[in-house]
Amino acid sequence: MSKILGAVEIGTQKAKAMVGVLSPSGDLKVVAAASVKNEGVRKGEIVDYRKTASAVHAAIEEAETAAGAKIDEVYLAQTGSHLRGTQLRGSSSTAASDNRVEYSDVERASEEAKRKKPEEGRSFVHHVRSPVVLDDRIVEDPVGMCGSSIEIGYWAIEGENNAIQESYDIVHGYGRLDITELFVSSIASGAIVAGSDLQHSGVLVVDVGAGVTDYVLYRHGHIAATGVVCVGGDHISGDLSMGLRILEPYAEDIKIEHGKAMVDESDAKEDVWLIGNKTIGDRTVSRKSICQVINARVVELFEIIAKEIGSLLDPDMVASGVLLTGGGSLLPGIDRVAENVLGLRTEKASFPSGIEGDLAHPGNATVLGLLHYGLKDSAVPSESNGSEGLLKKLVHLVGMN
Amino acid sequence: MSQQTMFTSGSFQSDSSSSVRAKVFGIGGAGVSLVDGLCLDGFDAVRSIAIDVDADVLSDCIAAEKIPIGRRLTRGMGTGGEISIGRKAVDEERDLIRKNLDGVDLVFLLAGLGGGTGGGAAPAIAKLARESGALVFAFTPLPFSWEKQRHQMADDALAELRKFANAVIPLPNDSLIQIGGADATALECFAQAGMNVSRGISAICSLVFRKGMIDVDFAHLRKAFNLRSGRTLFGFGEGKGADAIRHALRDLLLCPMLHLPDVSRAADVLLITVNGGPDMNMTALQQVAGSIREEFRAGEHVVFGAHVDENMGDRVEICVLGATDLEAGIPAADVAPAADPVLTTSPKAKKAKPVSRSHASKLKRETAAAKKKAKREKAAAKAPDDQEFFDFMQTENQRGIFGDQGKRNLYDGEDLDVPTYLRKGIKIDV
Repeated sequence: MSKILGAVEIGTQKAKAMVGVLSPSGDLKVVAAASVKNEGVRKGEIVDYRKTASAVHAAIEEAETAAGAKIDEVYLAQTGSHLRGTQLRGSSSTAASDNRVEYSDVERASEEAKRKKPEEGRSFVHHVRSPVVLDDRIVEDPVGMCGSSIEIGYWAIEGENNAIQESYDIVHGYGRLDITELFVSSIASGAIVAGSDLQHSGVLVVDVGAGVTDYVLYRHGHIAATGVVCVGGDHISGDLSMGLRILEPYAEDIKIEHGKAMVDESDAKEDVWLIGNKTIGDRTVSRKSICQVINARVVELFEIIAKEIGSLLDPDMVASGVLLTGGGSLLPGIDRVAENVLGLRTEKASFPSGIEGDLAHPGNATVLGLLHYGLKDSAVPSESNGSEGLLKKLVHLVGMN
Repeated sequence: MSQQTMFTSGSFQSDSSSSVRAKVFGIGGAGVSLVDGLCLDGFDAVRSIAIDVDADVLSDCIAAEKIPIGRRLTRGMGTGGEISIGRKAVDEERDLIRKNLDGVDLVFLLAGLGGGTGGGAAPAIAKLARESGALVFAFTPLPFSWEKQRHQMADDALAELRKFANAVIPLPNDSLIQIGGADATALECFAQAGMNVSRGISAICSLVFRKGMIDVDFAHLRKAFNLRSGRTLFGFGEGKGADAIRHALRDLLLCPMLHLPDVSRAADVLLITVNGGPDMNMTALQQVAGSIREEFRAGEHVVFGAHVDENMGDRVEICVLGATDLEAGIPAADVAPAADPVLTTSPKAKKAKPVSRSHASKLKRETAAAKKKAKREKAAAKAPDDQEFFDFMQTENQRGIFGDQGKRNLYDGEDLDVPTYLRKGIKIDV
């Protein structure tokens, strides 16, 4: 019997819940999806616990009702400015006299890498393993190979205990629902839009959400960097509200209807009604002004991402370029801006076959990615911690069992 | 319009029996140059005093009174951007400054907070002014976002100043380019920003010193701004012609000063002043007052003053000054007090008094005042219909998407919640 899994994302604009099962062919099948407007989160972080909890619970309940089943366990996404990624490294020498690497040698290197503890009040969310360097060779799994020194790297993502605990509590508060695992949003989004061939050739996945932008960089099939920039679609609306001097709800509409990330020559000649109903208070503004405000923000967003990733964004190593997802990727021209700023071929991401219709909205990338992981894990339980070298996930959460 | 017409239309004190005393203090380079601007604009109703550590700045200043501070500390050399020197310099001359504050009810502080003198001395002087019992309004230019280090300093100074001043109106340099016209030079932008300060001070002064047709006194102002405030809003609009007052309202709502990240979108206390010519339309005045209250979700504490000035001709000027998050540091509740849709002025400010400048105009105004009451009642009764005219403002107002967090979204010294176009100085035409 297939297991029923849930995925929850506590987003800045919406709380989302999905229920999925693994089809006999091994494909992901989403049986129910719900999203509920959430006013308790700003820039990916919970500012109003009760509002958030009620939105999350409503989303889970709606998804369960639609699926006609109770969710056994959920995968939960985590984002926000409190998340920080760092590269950890550890090394060891082979103990055996024949220079053959044993599992214990790898363990020692791994322990050394993970010896670094986060600051007080913070915990690691993920240790994502990078390829192992055995002498001068890059290998997936060195056990059984010959060599003298083993170097192991981890991309370690840490976050604030309080923020993690709060999102955990909110989901757990729904009928004592168990959380199987916590994922940073970027890794979840990356998993669903970038297949393993793209991950091997190198790809940057950028998920532009309402409150924050999450990104993940894959090189050689491994996660080389992840990050959160606290800028999202809400910033664009806020900028438009101030720049055009209109109320935010109108600014949001203007963004969706007339917004573009690039300023084109013809924009100066096009006038846009700001409120749209042409009442007495309405007035027009040149579309150029709208696009200028958006362009400045979007250019800056990608400049920050480029600066954060730094030299890892080498075009030769990121041959598959950039994939944009998240609700913000719907903004016309955002791919052109990303391409100009990052100097990499950029496309709007698509989902694997089987995810269609409303479900295929780019804003669903994170929660779909969670399900993707969850179903992969439960399909191959024996491999989830062992030979699934791509992602050896270790969750250390203070105060959670 | 020129600033001249605003101030030469009669000294504020001349037609006032008020014994309220006000003074303007320009502190540090930016503050002193704002005081110079006031002097050039012919603003002589209120005594202006220039205070600086830098002797050169003071000697170039045209203000009548000057107080050099920190002479022993720096020998007139300036602070070199050190806030602590600015603070100590005030300590040195504390007695002299106290003497200048003696008996003053209303203090305007003009100080750029990115410098050592402005950043250090302004909060210290605000403290002295509060101790002497004055109501303190501060207008503070803030450095550009790209001046990262100074920006951080200014942020700290602003927080310090807010502890003492009753209302602090930040004037970020980032907004200068939006304030000027399409092809404005840098100089014109700064001049325009200076003129906005003059307008603000003038509006507050006219409220207190001039007899208006809708009159308020200093006690009302003091009561409204008695608490220290966190965020403030400050804006100005003008209109001309047949429908001048509504044009002025529209201009006010487009005022770039009201559309900045640190400006509150709602006001717990709100001061509205309207200055117009003898033909100012009463019904429209009522509507505008109601609309402004609604726009800024002003609750109980609205101070509304209207003045007729023959020199205004067919022009109308509206100035608003509001404050929220009273008792700085305490975040206001999620929901600002809902605005009362009924069009009335503040209950405290209902008494109409004619201006007695010339007999003819007095007569005219008395008639107007008599008609006013009836009209107001009528207007109040049919308020829902009239409101349709200003329908566009009735939608849910907000404090801004990120306005309620208080935490800066810093990346590399810049606050990412501040619109990029503002920080990068990209002029947006509206």
